[in-house]
Amino acid sequence: MLSAIQSAFPGSVLESRVESDRRLWITVDPKKLVEITQFLRDKKDFDHYSGAAGVDRINENLFEVVEILTSHGAHQVVVMMKVRVPRDKPSVRSLTGLYWNANWYEREIWEMYGINFEGHPELYPLLLPDELVGYWPWRKDFKGYPDTTTGERAIEQVGPDGYTEFKIMPHPEMIKAGVVPERPKYPTFREREEAEIKSDSEMIMHMGPQHAIVPGPFLLDLLIEGERVKKAFLDVGYIHKGIEKIMENRTYLQGIVYTDRMCYLASITNNEAYCGAVERLLNITPPERAQYIRVILAELSRIQSHLLGTGEFLTLLGAATYSPFQYMIIDREDLVYLMESITGARITHTFVRFGGVRNDLPDGFADKARPILKRMRERTEEYMDLLHSDPIYTRRMRGIGVLSPGDARRLGVSGPPLRASDTPYDMRREDPILVYPDLDFKVVTRKAGDAEARVEVRLEEILESIHIIEQCLDQIPEGPIQEKLPKKIKPEPGEAYYRVEDPRGEMGFYVISDGSEKPYRVKVRGPVYAYMQALPPLLEGAYVADVVAIAGSMDACTSEVDR
Amino acid sequence: MYLSTIIEAVSAWAAQEPKIYALAIGLIGAAIISAVINIGAMAVVWLERKFLGDIQARFGPNRVGSRWGLLQLGADAIKLFTKEDSIPRGADKPVYVWAPIIASITTMLVAAAIPFGALRIDGKDYPLVVANMDISAFYVEAALSIMTIAVFMAGFSSNNKYSMLGAFRGIARMIAYEVPMGVCVIAVALMAHSLNLVEIVESQTLWYAFAQPLGFIVFTIALVTDLGRIPFDQSEAEEEIIAGYTTEYGGIRWGLLYFQEYINMLLGSILLVLLFLGGWKGPSIPLITVLSPMVWFLMKVLIVLIFLIWVRGSLVRFRIDQVTDLGWKWMLPLSLVNLAWAAFVGLYFA
Repeated sequence: MLSAIQSAFPGSVLESRVESDRRLWITVDPKKLVEITQFLRDKKDFDHYSGAAGVDRINENLFEVVEILTSHGAHQVVVMMKVRVPRDKPSVRSLTGLYWNANWYEREIWEMYGINFEGHPELYPLLLPDELVGYWPWRKDFKGYPDTTTGERAIEQVGPDGYTEFKIMPHPEMIKAGVVPERPKYPTFREREEAEIKSDSEMIMHMGPQHAIVPGPFLLDLLIEGERVKKAFLDVGYIHKGIEKIMENRTYLQGIVYTDRMCYLASITNNEAYCGAVERLLNITPPERAQYIRVILAELSRIQSHLLGTGEFLTLLGAATYSPFQYMIIDREDLVYLMESITGARITHTFVRFGGVRNDLPDGFADKARPILKRMRERTEEYMDLLHSDPIYTRRMRGIGVLSPGDARRLGVSGPPLRASDTPYDMRREDPILVYPDLDFKVVTRKAGDAEARVEVRLEEILESIHIIEQCLDQIPEGPIQEKLPKKIKPEPGEAYYRVEDPRGEMGFYVISDGSEKPYRVKVRGPVYAYMQALPPLLEGAYVADVVAIAGSMDACTSEVDR
Repeated sequence: MYLSTIIEAVSAWAAQEPKIYALAIGLIGAAIISAVINIGAMAVVWLERKFLGDIQARFGPNRVGSRWGLLQLGADAIKLFTKEDSIPRGADKPVYVWAPIIASITTMLVAAAIPFGALRIDGKDYPLVVANMDISAFYVEAALSIMTIAVFMAGFSSNNKYSMLGAFRGIARMIAYEVPMGVCVIAVALMAHSLNLVEIVESQTLWYAFAQPLGFIVFTIALVTDLGRIPFDQSEAEEEIIAGYTTEYGGIRWGLLYFQEYINMLLGSILLVLLFLGGWKGPSIPLITVLSPMVWFLMKVLIVLIFLIWVRGSLVRFRIDQVTDLGWKWMLPLSLVNLAWAAFVGLYFA
């Protein structure tokens, strides 16, 4: 692969490193970025734009943008392609022309680092509020939000229709420095109404930031005509926590706690992804027993997440009174109890450690788990039967929110929604970790790609997960659960990218070490970020009632988007 | 029996002073009816909370008023009465204020013509009805559809997009289902040779649910739709449009809108029992002969209510276009088929 790129673009590859047969690190000439990417996409099947990370190399007076490219099943190579640009007036060519879903990743890098993307269609703030743009908070020389006067600067304005709005005017110093006036602004609701509404029968309706459909605060503005959605606008960032930046200021071990908080339904897999990346930096592998315990927990976590996701989705269709939700919660309680018996916590486990796990399995765990799993399997089959035989449910869900395989790949979604669109793309197969290669499981797919298929995939994955756990319980060897580690975890300078299959899809952690006790940069590539981005095109032309069904069938988790 | 003597004396007096009799009966009846339907609806709310709780494997109200939560509704009412009464800026104030009142008046109008059971005295059933008019079935139908106006008033005056969508949906749904519902009532009237609800009940030697099963099914579905309950609660689908036409209402105004839904549910169940399930007809029960029609009547109403709650606990919601689709393309033709069947049977066999 490397030689192919080098021969096609002589002199453009500045640095390269082949880490394994699945990771290729290259640094390319910023001028040739788009051409090389196009070559990789068209000639080498890199049809999946997995994400992008900005890195502030302040010591070398450079910014780095890392594009993560991979393929939907044609091969298993992940290319980490870096471009380096100088710190003053940083600018990189945008990849939005090649990959539709590069949009949000580039916007995030722009608002956090101030790296401009040439040719980006809508470079305005995504996660940050308007008044924070221009501070570039993720740069290494950022000294904290210096301005505590926003409350005083807020100006109360009464609009023509009698409603009060608060506007925060930019800081005078920043206007003087010329940072603020150039910045593009996120359109306000009124501006959007004026721009989009064409006839009297149309209106823009808010769904969110506080709304029954949303799993966390995000805003969905629907341009509707009658009951039809003509266009959808999405705004996230209401609860942005800056976890990636916080982790730069914590030691490696302290960082594990933050990975829990990104999405409490997937805390084990988030732990796993972070610890896996640091293990690669430390160059250790956990002992086999620890690997089995991790797999057991990851699959338990997947089951409980799918149960809650499906249950919540069902309540969206038929009010909170639709009963299966309650039964799924009761079933989930058993699994949470099992996980609690191992980790001591119900949702935020902080259990996986570098080179092992915190605790061993409790005595008699297998005897306790087997009946629960057996009942879980029966119940899941019952749910599948129930949903399949409900005529109103099938009428509502069939053919709704259809993602064709091509669209699903183009929009960059992963996990159950992608597999429901006939694409067997599963990190446990594509980028096998731990003992997954030794285990027998099948990647569940569906042809239809509609909301019904997505729910079916989730329910069937529960069965597969139960199968995996049962194999693990049979095969798990005796032995140590923790590799020997130094007292202070200080990985050699370097970088690692590690992917796991989250309950929702592809979860990747990109960790850079500079040899100190704290990571230099942690980048999270979360699956829900991609779902959210894919939501507006999916909603166009749907009924208002289907918006709920489609958004629910994606099983999104805002907390992870606003990490 | 002394009861029949009283009745005879009263009827004699009524013949002498018809106007005073009518006024007295009206006032006493209104008082009794308001009490009965309000207490009845409270019982329905309690029943729904408890039974829905059972369906969903939870307890339901179990703190206020013994472990059955009997006083929960009283507590809720106190809360609603003492809440701040706010009217949103930009609302059409008179319409906004009158919408819940009209909704409550509608239910009272319906209740006036509906028999709430009967007493069996000397082998004869005396129906408990305030306004025993000749066209009561027709009148009840007509009064029920005034609800549509109240819903639209509430939705339109709130100056809120969710309310507006909810009102549109409510109107579309109610229009689509009032028609088949009315046709079903006509079919029943054809068989009973009367539009009077009391006579309809008395003519049911065979329940009309068996005489015209198609009509029974269509009427039941149309009734659930008219009541705006799952799977037909699009006008207040919480997950899509917050609370539909009631979004901007709060405090006791919302309480009225909420409560009239349950009064409607009770009245609807009674209507179904009267039209299709033989009303209060049933064999006499020894010892409580006088009350035996009442027992049968309440038992049937209770079964219908539980059925309605059960439906709510186990179905998902239709989409609004599917609802109108079902209404115009299936319910209306089926009700017409049923009408033809009723006419045929009613003319040649009844």
